[in-house]
Amino acid sequence: MRNENNNLTSRTPLRQQWQALLFLLPLLLFVGALILVPVLGTFLDSLFRDVTFLPRRFIGPENYRALLADPAFWSSLRFTLLFVLVSVPLELGLGLLIALVLAEAFPGRGLLRAVVLIPWAIPAAVSGRLFELIYNYSYGAANWLLQRLHLSGAPVNWLGSDAGAFAAVVVADAWKSTPFAALLLLAGLSAIPEDLFRQARVDRAGLLRRFFGITLPLLRPVLVVTLLFRTIDALRVFDVVFVLTGGGPGGATTPLSLYGFRYYASGDFGYGAAVSVVLFLIALALAVAFVRLGGFGRELR
Amino acid sequence: MSEERLRKLLLAGGACLAFLFCFAPFGYMVLTGLSVDPDFLRPGADYRFTLDHVASALFSESIHFPAYLRNSLIVSAVSAAVAVLIAALAAYAFTRLALPGKGVILLFVLAVSLFPPVSLVSYLFKAMATLGWINTWPALILPYVAWTLPLSVWILVSYFSQLPRDLDRAALIDGCSRLQVLLRVTLPVAAPGVFSTLLLAFIFAFNEFLFALMLTTDHAARTIPVGIAMFEGLHGQIPWGEIMAAATVTTIPVVVLTLIFQRRIVQGLTRGAVKE
Repeated sequence: MRNENNNLTSRTPLRQQWQALLFLLPLLLFVGALILVPVLGTFLDSLFRDVTFLPRRFIGPENYRALLADPAFWSSLRFTLLFVLVSVPLELGLGLLIALVLAEAFPGRGLLRAVVLIPWAIPAAVSGRLFELIYNYSYGAANWLLQRLHLSGAPVNWLGSDAGAFAAVVVADAWKSTPFAALLLLAGLSAIPEDLFRQARVDRAGLLRRFFGITLPLLRPVLVVTLLFRTIDALRVFDVVFVLTGGGPGGATTPLSLYGFRYYASGDFGYGAAVSVVLFLIALALAVAFVRLGGFGRELR
Repeated sequence: MSEERLRKLLLAGGACLAFLFCFAPFGYMVLTGLSVDPDFLRPGADYRFTLDHVASALFSESIHFPAYLRNSLIVSAVSAAVAVLIAALAAYAFTRLALPGKGVILLFVLAVSLFPPVSLVSYLFKAMATLGWINTWPALILPYVAWTLPLSVWILVSYFSQLPRDLDRAALIDGCSRLQVLLRVTLPVAAPGVFSTLLLAFIFAFNEFLFALMLTTDHAARTIPVGIAMFEGLHGQIPWGEIMAAATVTTIPVVVLTLIFQRRIVQGLTRGAVKE
């Protein structure tokens, strides 16, 4: 038998490397086999005519060419970007408001903190269904509220009109996603040293000055992280739209993920794959842009 | 002094609005599930209480909700347990063992979450169909494990890296193997973090929709989100009472878990995104 302790200094690192690899192996296997291989497979699929019951055939960029020529693709892309542009700032703004409230001490704060988690805990597909009822034309809560507050004389046809359906999707997503933004921002707020505020109060800096002079600048790193998370998530929005509007009316609220999914569902895997690749590239471009803009990496550490 | 009053006023108003915004839709869901008719907000309508919808959501096998709930609980629990185990092994290696390039590997694993789920789902569907696994639990468990791994690894790495190395060293000197150190020292000491991760992985799996939609075709194999999304009832009119009762009853496990362990969940969610 060899003496294990003999050559400890030079042997240990190598043994440790093997051990490290062994410990990482299950992770790499799962991520490799169930995420990387499928993603690469999708990239490949996008270059094929891959339709159920038809022979698979290499067609190069044909799917992409068809995609760019499809007006439905462009309107889906427009909806997706508009959705990100409207819902992410809305969710960040609402989230910041909630975080600012939760950062203060007041009776009932524990209760509010718990209640804020409820929308986050409910599956998006289920909250989609809930909002479908809320937007019901004749007895949903949305129209009831509008009538009660005398904001609108006639009931609004939420899910039947383009603008109504857009607003409906944005609000339903905001309900589901704002808590996450609020929690991240709250964690950021509580990391700001209390002394700064005390000092500012001694210096008689007003409420607004304190907010814009201390809170906002110091919160910036967390704001950028939240913005990145929410943007990537909003880009791939699926559940809530699929359930709430089904992409309608007339395709007006079809995000790219749903546009691509429809082709999968009808058995056209090649074309659906091309849509997914486009969506991925947009997400990648935005993520890189954020990393550049936010001077990231530093903040992730 | 007037600024102090303004601050209090803003705070009270903000707290009330935040409460209404977050709670009202959920309250409406519960109320509708307990109402004889879903149209109790129609002018002139009355609210009449019933437990019928709840009972049928819980016990009527013909509308499948008991099966959906069973599938969801089993799939989520198994995926969360497996994901956390794998993530713990990996996080131990990332924080304790020497391996050139492990930083790159970690970054790569995290970057994987950039892929939109829709870019995996078709390939997974084809693979599972070839294996004949569509409508089985493993068809959902395997992707869920993979999909929750980046998050789980990230959270556990941040917990493990805060534990003192001396604990490991002491156990190693006592003759423990690395695996024994992980199981007997690191995991127990990091138990709160491990538990947060387990909860988050469970909730993510419980709430997942797209994979479950694509990888199940049969009523009996569906999970809660898919079951509720696709529930249309038998007679044309959407049975809102039953749907909302089912939504209430079946999301109660996650809501209750979330409320009980809110501190842990918030800690897990915000870890890594925010410097401590």
